[in-house]
Amino acid sequence: MKIRTIKYIIKEGISNTYKNKLMTLASVSIVTASLIVFGVFLLFIINLNYNASTLKEQPEMRVFCEYELDSAQISQVEKELKQIQNIESVSLVTPKEAFEKFKETLGEDADVLEGFDESLVAASFIIKLVDPDKSSDTIEEIEKINGVRKVSYSKEVVEFVSKLAHWVRMISGLLIVVLLIISMFIISNTIKLTVFARRREINIMKYIGATDWFIRWPFIVEGVIIGVVGSLIAFLLTRYGYNTVEVRFNGDLQSISRDFIRLVKTQDVSSRLIASYVLIGSVVGAVGSLISIRKYLRV
Amino acid sequence: MVELRDVVKRYPNGTVALKNINLKIEKGEFAFIVGPSGSGKSTLIKLLMKEEDVTEGEVFVNGYEVSAMSRRDVPNLRRSLGIVFQDFRLLPNKTVYDNVAFAMQITEALPKEIRRQVPMALALVGLSRKANAYPSQLSGGEQQRVAVARAIVNSPSLLIADEPTGNLDPETSWEIMKLLSEINHRGTTVIVATHEKSIVDAMKKRVIAIDRGVLVRDQQKGLYADEDKNYQIHN
Repeated sequence: MKIRTIKYIIKEGISNTYKNKLMTLASVSIVTASLIVFGVFLLFIINLNYNASTLKEQPEMRVFCEYELDSAQISQVEKELKQIQNIESVSLVTPKEAFEKFKETLGEDADVLEGFDESLVAASFIIKLVDPDKSSDTIEEIEKINGVRKVSYSKEVVEFVSKLAHWVRMISGLLIVVLLIISMFIISNTIKLTVFARRREINIMKYIGATDWFIRWPFIVEGVIIGVVGSLIAFLLTRYGYNTVEVRFNGDLQSISRDFIRLVKTQDVSSRLIASYVLIGSVVGAVGSLISIRKYLRV
Repeated sequence: MVELRDVVKRYPNGTVALKNINLKIEKGEFAFIVGPSGSGKSTLIKLLMKEEDVTEGEVFVNGYEVSAMSRRDVPNLRRSLGIVFQDFRLLPNKTVYDNVAFAMQITEALPKEIRRQVPMALALVGLSRKANAYPSQLSGGEQQRVAVARAIVNSPSLLIADEPTGNLDPETSWEIMKLLSEINHRGTTVIVATHEKSIVDAMKKRVIAIDRGVLVRDQQKGLYADEDKNYQIHN
């Protein structure tokens, strides 16, 4: 293909997009709407994965020592913990640290602790396991150590969340695929209207010897323009909406949800969002054009 | 230039449009294809530009074996022809100039060539002054002249016109026919399907008459109807 032909194709695609304003507007709105629905699912999945993985990384196992151990005894416990094979890492939370954290959590009500000091709480260890599936054996081993009072392990919660995440991911993935097929169908139908309005033009081009690709390319350019414009609008709207939710959720509502759920920061999802929008938008636009023009090339 | 050998065209619904047509049109000829509506002359034209495929027989146009060519080669065949239709078939959103230039653009012609050839073609059909008008601003005769300019701008060796005057009044029809005749004098082979009796009779060119799918007469300097054989026309 020669450069002047490429120029012609791009020029033609752009001017057709502009000339068929109403159709373009209709197609762009459909692209925008379906991408936003897709985006809501995508953001839901992204946040689910994010929360599921942070939950997994959280110190699900905690070992509490007896009260009033001196530091030598505490480091003895730490040493013994480190000898257990299934333990990946051990980190110490001193009574002082735990006491400060406790005070912090109470916030304004911290004055009830007046007159108490860190001897109120015991030293503890945050444990990371190599293989969470062998946790029950490990707990037994830990409990045998002198000076260990209690082992807490939130295995059930983690298992439940990761199972839930798995299913939600599966179902949303399926929904996204269905949704994309539906929007591709709608878009190709909208472009079909454009093509139908210009079937005479296509017909004439065929009669004076234009090749199929020469006729197709401007329509593909048009489809891609529609897709890209639609995806940019969808991106701006989704970003604005998500940002509003994210700021409120991670800010005001944080005291309710505590540390359990956090939303991914808007700037962290933006690039993923715009990349997938533009990619999907332009592919759907191009394929929609190809599908709808096919019939009219058989002259 | 154009040759049909034992051509049969049967449509899927069972209608036989052409029966055993044998025909040869040499380079530089001007030939009328005449016959009443439904006689098969439109089908014959459609075979030449491969809008329809033959059922049996062979069709050669401009050195292409039309009856055996693949869909991919059809654009090349059509670029080697100039085609003029009854309904003009101009692009409504392009100016006269752009309509003519478009036929060259699709062949990826050099812009320099386009700028040279398009004004020449428009001058030949007498529409230089209307180059920037849109088809809707022109009369039927002018639109058909634009279509003729578009058909000849690539300097094809064969020009096919399918009822070129069907939508025009008698006077304008004459102008178009004279134009086609002039193009023929410049060396282009011209085939015109028509049922304009008066024009065919006056122009004294080769006449190929088709009736009910059969080639009934092929005569140099012929008339629309063959009086000697008491040939009836049906329109």
